[in-house]
Amino acid sequence: MSGKIKVLYIDDEVNNLHSFRAAFRVDYQVYTANSSEEAAAQLNANPEIAVIISDQRMPNMTGVEFFEEIRATHPSPVRMLITGYTDVEAVIDAINRGQIFRYIKKPWSEIDIRSAIEEGYSYYLTSSLLTEKNKELQKAYNELDKFAYSVTHDLRSPILSVLGAINIAKQTDDISEIKEMVGLMEKAMQKLDDFIHNIHDYYNMRRGELEIRDVNFDNLAAQLKDMFELVGKTNNVEFIINKDVQSAFRSDETSLLIILNNLLSNAFKYQKKNIAHKFVHVDISVKDNTAVITVADNGIGIHENYLDYIFDMFYRATSEEFGSGFGLYNVKDALNRLNGDIKVTSKKDEGTSFIVTIQGK
Amino acid sequence: MDASQFHFIVIDDSFFDCRIAEKVIQNVGNPASVKVFQNAEDAIQYIRQIDDYSDGKKIILFVDIQMPLMDGFGFVQEFETLPAEVKDRYAFYFVTSSINENDIRRSVNFPSVRRFLNKPLTVNVVRDLLETV
Repeated sequence: MSGKIKVLYIDDEVNNLHSFRAAFRVDYQVYTANSSEEAAAQLNANPEIAVIISDQRMPNMTGVEFFEEIRATHPSPVRMLITGYTDVEAVIDAINRGQIFRYIKKPWSEIDIRSAIEEGYSYYLTSSLLTEKNKELQKAYNELDKFAYSVTHDLRSPILSVLGAINIAKQTDDISEIKEMVGLMEKAMQKLDDFIHNIHDYYNMRRGELEIRDVNFDNLAAQLKDMFELVGKTNNVEFIINKDVQSAFRSDETSLLIILNNLLSNAFKYQKKNIAHKFVHVDISVKDNTAVITVADNGIGIHENYLDYIFDMFYRATSEEFGSGFGLYNVKDALNRLNGDIKVTSKKDEGTSFIVTIQGK
Repeated sequence: MDASQFHFIVIDDSFFDCRIAEKVIQNVGNPASVKVFQNAEDAIQYIRQIDDYSDGKKIILFVDIQMPLMDGFGFVQEFETLPAEVKDRYAFYFVTSSINENDIRRSVNFPSVRRFLNKPLTVNVVRDLLETV
C-alpha cells in the first residue's frame, strides 16, 4: 500500500474519463473503464485499487448494479456513486444494495472528488487493517484450539497411566509387580513434569522480554556440561563441546540456553541402544557478530519424510521415547525472536545435525 | 468367557500404557497371546502379513487415538480396507485418554469400531467386554 492512492473511475462517456484522468493523475494513480466488464477486468488486474468511483447511468448496467455485483468478488475497495440531482431512487438503491461509501452529485467539482477519495481511502485503510487483524486473531484462536486439545491429552495421559498402574498394584500381593508399577508411576510423573517445563518455556518466550547483553559462552558451556554430563556418562555417550569465540556477541542468554537445552536433550534422548561409540558434539563458533552452533549426534536419526514437520507444534516424528512435540517448536520460536535460523540434516539410523545461525544484536 | 479364548493386540505410543494394558490382560487370566505395538504402522503391517492365528480365536484390538505419525484414525482407515473375512476375526476397540467430543463422535462412526473405552484400562472393564464379544 505504498505510493499513490489507486482509484478506478467508470463512465460510459469517454470524454468524462479523459477529464477525470487529466484532473487527478498527478495525485492519484488513476485507472479508467468505460463499461462494467472493463471495470471488473481492471479490478482483477489491479488488486490494490482502493477506491472505485462509478457513474450511475450506463447503457448495460447501472452503477448500483455494478457495485452490487462487484461487492461479492472485490469487497475491500471503497465504492462511490456519481449521479445527477434527480436520481433519488438510485441513491437509496445505492445505499441499500451497493453499500456505497459516498454519493457525489453531478456535475462534480474537483474538490468534492478529492475529499471523497481522501476520506474513502482512510476508511479503506482502517477496514483493511481490521481485516488483517481479524485474520491474525483467527490464526491465534486456531492455534489456541490446537493447543488446548493437545495439552488436555498430554496432561491427562500420564495421570491416566498412573491411575492404571495404581489399579494393578491394588489388586496384587506380588511385591515385584508392585515395584514395577511404582517405577511406571515415577516415569509417568517425570514425563508430566517435563511437559510442564516445556509449557513454561513456551510461555516464557512468548511473553518474556529479551535481555540483550554480551553472551558469556564459557558460562553457557559450563551450564550445558552441568545439565548433560551425567546423562552422557550414565548412557555411555561421549559429550564434547568445542568453542571458538573470536568476537563479542550480544544476544539473549536465556533464549540461547532454551535452544541448546532442547537440541541437546533430543540428541541424548534419541540415541541408538546398542552401539559402541555414541556421541553428542557441540560446536560453537563466533566471529563477525555471528554465532554458528552445531549440535551433532549419531543417534536414531529422522526419516526424511518427516524433516519438514519437526518444527511444527506437537509434531512428533517417532514413537520411541516420550516427547511432547513441543521442544523443537520452542527452539524455532526462540530463534524467530533472535532473528536466527536453523538447518537440519539427518539420516535415519545414522544421526542428526542441527546448525543454528544467529546474528548478534 | 475367560481370556484364554482370545488373542490381544495393543497399539499405543505410550510405553507405560502398553505395559499397563499387558498387565491388565494378563490379570484377567491366561490370554492366548498378547502383542504390543508402539507404532500403528508396524501394527497394520503385522496384521496384513500374519496368519498365525489359525486357532480361530477372536483377536481383541485395543487402539489408542492420539499417537504420533499414524494415529488411531489413520489406523482404523487402513484396517477397514482389509478383506471382510480378515476383519471378522478382530474385535476393534478404541482406548483413549481423549475427552474431546469430536474424537468420541468420530471414533464410533467407523463400522469396525465396537466401542470407545476410556483409559485407564482395568481388569473389570476387560472382563465385562469379553462377555459381550
